[in-house]
Amino acid sequence: MHNTRPAKITSPITSLNEGYVRTIPLALIVGAIGIGVSLVLCGFQSKPFLYNYLVAFCFVLSISLGCLFFVTIMHLTRAGWSATVRRVAELYAMCTFPLFLLFLPILLTVISGTDTVYSWNVEGYTIHADAETKADILANAPLPPLEQLKGAFLNKWFFTGRIVAYFLIWGGMAFFFLKNSLAQDVSGDKKLTARNQAFSAPFMILFAATIVFASFDIEMSLSPLWFSTMFPVYFFAGAFLSALCTIMLTCLWLQRTGRVTDEITIEHYHDLGKLMQGFVIFWGYIAFSQFLLIWYANIPEETFWYDLRINQPGWKGLSLILLVGHLFIPFFLLMGRGLRRNRILLTISAVFILCMHWVDHYWLVMPHLNPHGDHTFQLSGTGFLTGISCLVGMIAIYIALFCLVTRNRPLVPLQDPRLGEALNHEVH
Amino acid sequence: MAEENQTNTNEDSKLVGLLAQFDDPDSLVAACNNAREAGYTKTDAYSPFPVHGIDPALGIKRSILPFIVLSIALGAVCIGLGMQWYTNTDSGTISPAFPGYPFKISGKPYFSLPANIPVTFEVIVLSSAFAAFFGMWILNKLPMLSNPLHRISRFKRATNDKFFLMIEEADEKFDRSSTEAQLNQWGAVAIDECRQDLTDNVLPSWFRLVALMGALMLLIPPVVIFRSMGMTNRAPRLHFMPDMDWQEKSKTQTVAPTMVDGENLFLDMRAMRAPVEGSVAWDHLNADTEMHQGIKRDYKAVTSVSTKTGSALTSLTTGQEDDAAAPAEEDLSKYVTAFPVGIEVNAELLARGQNRFNIYCSVCHGYSGNGDGLVNQRAVALAGTGKATWTAAKSLHDPIVKDPAQNPLGRLFDTISNGRSMMGPYKSQISVEDRWAIVAYVKALQETGIKPPGSEVSPAAKTPADEAPEADDSAIPKPTP
Amino acid sequence: MATVNPSLDNTHDDAAERSPLVLGLDYAGVTDTVCKIWEDEKMPKIWWMTLGVALSLLAILGACVGHLIMKGVGVWGNNNPAYWGWPIVNFVFWVGIGHAGTLISAILFLFRQNWRTSINRAAEAMTIFAVMCAGLFPGVHIGRVWAFYWLFPVPTEHLAMWPNFRSPLLWDVFAVSTYATVSVLFWYMGMVPDIATFRDRCKSRIGKFIYGLLSLGWTGSARGWHRYEIAYTILAALATPLVLSVHTIVSFDFAVSQVPGWHTTIFPPYFVAGAIFSGFAMVVTLLVPVRKIYGLEQLITLRHLENMNKIIMATGMMVGTAYGIEFFIAWYSGVPWEGFAFYNRAFGNYWWAYWIMVTCNVVIPQVFWIKWCRTTPWFMVIICIFVNIGMWFERFVITITSLCRDFNPSSWAYFHPTWIDLLMLIGSFGLFFTMFSLFCRFLPVIAIAEVKGVMPREHADHH
Repeated sequence: MHNTRPAKITSPITSLNEGYVRTIPLALIVGAIGIGVSLVLCGFQSKPFLYNYLVAFCFVLSISLGCLFFVTIMHLTRAGWSATVRRVAELYAMCTFPLFLLFLPILLTVISGTDTVYSWNVEGYTIHADAETKADILANAPLPPLEQLKGAFLNKWFFTGRIVAYFLIWGGMAFFFLKNSLAQDVSGDKKLTARNQAFSAPFMILFAATIVFASFDIEMSLSPLWFSTMFPVYFFAGAFLSALCTIMLTCLWLQRTGRVTDEITIEHYHDLGKLMQGFVIFWGYIAFSQFLLIWYANIPEETFWYDLRINQPGWKGLSLILLVGHLFIPFFLLMGRGLRRNRILLTISAVFILCMHWVDHYWLVMPHLNPHGDHTFQLSGTGFLTGISCLVGMIAIYIALFCLVTRNRPLVPLQDPRLGEALNHEVH
Repeated sequence: MAEENQTNTNEDSKLVGLLAQFDDPDSLVAACNNAREAGYTKTDAYSPFPVHGIDPALGIKRSILPFIVLSIALGAVCIGLGMQWYTNTDSGTISPAFPGYPFKISGKPYFSLPANIPVTFEVIVLSSAFAAFFGMWILNKLPMLSNPLHRISRFKRATNDKFFLMIEEADEKFDRSSTEAQLNQWGAVAIDECRQDLTDNVLPSWFRLVALMGALMLLIPPVVIFRSMGMTNRAPRLHFMPDMDWQEKSKTQTVAPTMVDGENLFLDMRAMRAPVEGSVAWDHLNADTEMHQGIKRDYKAVTSVSTKTGSALTSLTTGQEDDAAAPAEEDLSKYVTAFPVGIEVNAELLARGQNRFNIYCSVCHGYSGNGDGLVNQRAVALAGTGKATWTAAKSLHDPIVKDPAQNPLGRLFDTISNGRSMMGPYKSQISVEDRWAIVAYVKALQETGIKPPGSEVSPAAKTPADEAPEADDSAIPKPTP
Repeated sequence: MATVNPSLDNTHDDAAERSPLVLGLDYAGVTDTVCKIWEDEKMPKIWWMTLGVALSLLAILGACVGHLIMKGVGVWGNNNPAYWGWPIVNFVFWVGIGHAGTLISAILFLFRQNWRTSINRAAEAMTIFAVMCAGLFPGVHIGRVWAFYWLFPVPTEHLAMWPNFRSPLLWDVFAVSTYATVSVLFWYMGMVPDIATFRDRCKSRIGKFIYGLLSLGWTGSARGWHRYEIAYTILAALATPLVLSVHTIVSFDFAVSQVPGWHTTIFPPYFVAGAIFSGFAMVVTLLVPVRKIYGLEQLITLRHLENMNKIIMATGMMVGTAYGIEFFIAWYSGVPWEGFAFYNRAFGNYWWAYWIMVTCNVVIPQVFWIKWCRTTPWFMVIICIFVNIGMWFERFVITITSLCRDFNPSSWAYFHPTWIDLLMLIGSFGLFFTMFSLFCRFLPVIAIAEVKGVMPREHADHH
């Protein structure tokens, strides 16, 4: 009646199987070319290049953070269905630690005391330096100089310290989960799962605290005047969504290349697809709420941020693309059981959402490249090409990092106590 | 070994099918699979909870319910947005009987999509939920309160802990004895005949009458409501919040209330009190027209004091309407040409005038009186983009304003008091003495020799034709809504 | 009724196997346990006592509402500048409580958290009663209650007026009424199979008639279940964004304005987290006595309670995080009014309310880190009552402190509630508990069919 599968891994290959040795140099070459091309495209100017670099960096960082959240929440809720896809997420989460190296170019501009990326990083920065549009309104705002207000938080050493702390915390959490999970592959000790679960609760608090301030630091402080309490949630929604897409794409690829066979079934894809749709809606909900509140109250200190993105011709188009592409299209692409159980459609949706996720970060970061109004570069074909080549390069390096982290490690947990539940998982 | 539940198997009842009982869900699913493989199509299974795996076993196709809900939801988008668009933007072009009601709130457009999303969303959810709820019952052909199955006592455990498979008589492959044998073979614990009682189809005789009465009774409330809506009624209305309808106060010209001790509140028994000796009614001290209106004391014209007050009030409430008519018949000779008695022009008065001028007048006319106040500048700029209509503030150095013949002192005072053209009245904000102080200050300003704007460009361009009284009167402007 | 050695503690965590959600009961056992509540001729004394107290509180509420309608809303303490006083606080408080039910039914259903089945029915009922209490306050706040239909776009010739769809208060009307309707549909639909169980067990003629009518002729046919499950999933999928939207829109009431302390973009998710927080606390407060009185320990197990307490702790910390973010951004924004509003919350003249809120919502739930605290019924009830007190004060702090210290210092004042305010708050609990007592008496307290659906199939063989 019930064909209960034994809780055993049956795939012939469950690791990258030396494939990574070939992949790493290839990926690094592609990465170098991509980043080189983007440098050439922006004429070797450090500022436009670093902004595009920041967009691409936020893209991969958010994927890793989303995966870290995935692992944490799965342990926290004692989820069984996801046991077989959890390893992929653990590996991606582990990439956060080396990602710190990729943040160094930006961190160096901060430490060297220039305002190449963060406009608050020079002495005596004021509102005027920050006001992209409607400078006349803001110039009259009765506020003291920004530096006086926010200098205690936005200064280079405190910033650097915080960034180091974030990466240490993220790397530490990812390492803890991965180490226990890998140890379980060998010993099959149930206590390791119990330990992961026990630590997942405090880790969740740490994760929440770090992602809140990391999003403030890395992206929100690009416009030091602007503030929104919702911003971390917005950042998180996009991060988790892109992580789900990445996990799904990786699993599909691993199955296609025969590295993992029937450990991951269509039921898992169906569930990931459901979560993707859920978080597409969640992203839309958060994005809309943040926009509506600022649009409705129309307070100059915060409304200029949206004014720039909604009323400037080029950014307006990009905002509309986000609305349609990040919300409506994926919503309908993932609607319905039939659509969510079709591997090709799922691949298309996941790739599409990831593209939109990049657009999202482009939209968050790039308007602040030259605050004084001239946005032709960011909105030109060259600008987008610069960003895209930088993104391709960054993704290639990220793949290299993933291979480096993964090496010959198993791609599914071999002796997870909930393996049976995951293998026999069925979506009702 | 059919266990006959029904005692009457005669022609009063009709065989509907055979109902086999199973004790656990797995054997039910197995039996369903067997029945499907044996070629039965008109089958159904009954269980206390949804049994996993029974849909493929019975060959149940996926319901169309999601598509019904989806189409309703898409329709609801249009209804939700349309409702908000119609009620908040349309002003009678579509249906004159029920026009919409456009009004501005916090500078938002009448139809502002972000603000209309929440209600649209709720409308979508509400109609989709109705579609799912009612669609499900309709597709399930429920409510159906009479079902032959409910007559089988064993079937009562279908909602408790037993599982049943029904093979209908209407099925092509149904055969009373062989089907029963098959069911037994598939592990049925017990088999019942399901029979429909044909005599039961007749409704009880009293039912129609009761139903008709009930339906008629249901009509009573709406009829009563419609009747009361369409008729006048002499009965006293219901009083909610009685202390609003019957306030604890005495009205004018009535008897004062009686106190607890039987005494009247006032000895003269009047509710109204006479004014205290020597009190003067509001506005009755304004007899000195020179002081209070800038009009000569000996001026006797059709414009009495009372109509003058009336016109000022009208101009307060209706804006420009009477201004258009008034200037044509204006008699300039009525205005005083000197300061009234009691107003002494000295440095103190001028300082006071400057102070008041800078507070009240400069916003439009500018500190120099040249019509370049901040409000005026902004409004002219806005008017240039078509976002507002505006008549530019008059320069006080304009020859017409300066000319004592066309603008005697009294007329300046009158302009400040009652407004002129688009300029509003300042009578209620500025005291009489201060208004005279402003007049003095304006006259002093005019002596400074500041040139009005445009005078450098074409000083000789002005002809008497241009200086028609209408143009003369556009003093401080006001935006038209 | 086969009872297989009920060991009532299933809170032990073992990664290799799931703890059972139903302890020592088979299908018939589940039915009997739940139906016993309603089949008993005599209700327990404590039920009569609860109903008695609740009815007298309800009478107080009725008297207050009558007094209010006759006298006008001036009998409340709402006055310049706090025109939104206790009524809106009570409204947000009750709507918040009304979120747990749909959350348990819909979101936990979509996430296939099977443990929800034992508690979802009672939680949904609680939701509906809480929304009734919530609707009462803005309902009577409109003053002329007989003109309530002006809130809706009703085409009336004599009125010639429509609601303003750009106002968040109107969004509230739509959100709360939609929420109430969909919750009732969801609740009733889930209940139909269980009412059919009542119908089939009922002995009295009146009972047979009423439950027969309410069960709509449900037979439990496989085709019926098929469509039923699809409809249930759709309703759950609709209710999930709906439940988010309701408290989001309630938060919009505050957050679209420019009042310092109200205009904060985190409000939507923060309000939703707070609503879940208080709702779960209320579910625990209700279910611990219910399971004790009616002997439902085998169905509402310690594990259920423990899970709920974990959610309470998690949402409590989300709320705490939001408090923190608000404070940080109030400083970071550099806007003096924002900074003052938050300083004033913590150290101004309403400091006591703020610290009650922080203590009850953030500090006290931390005891749930200790296993004993989250698995000891009487103790968790105490904690949950504190949580509800804290959540009431959260709404009080948001509403009153910001209004009493707005931009214009000349209108600063101290809010004074009246007796009517106080009695109506207490009376609303009377309405709530009256409804809940009647629900326990006449309707299935536990979703019988759903519980059976998540039981392991082997149980059926224990005959």
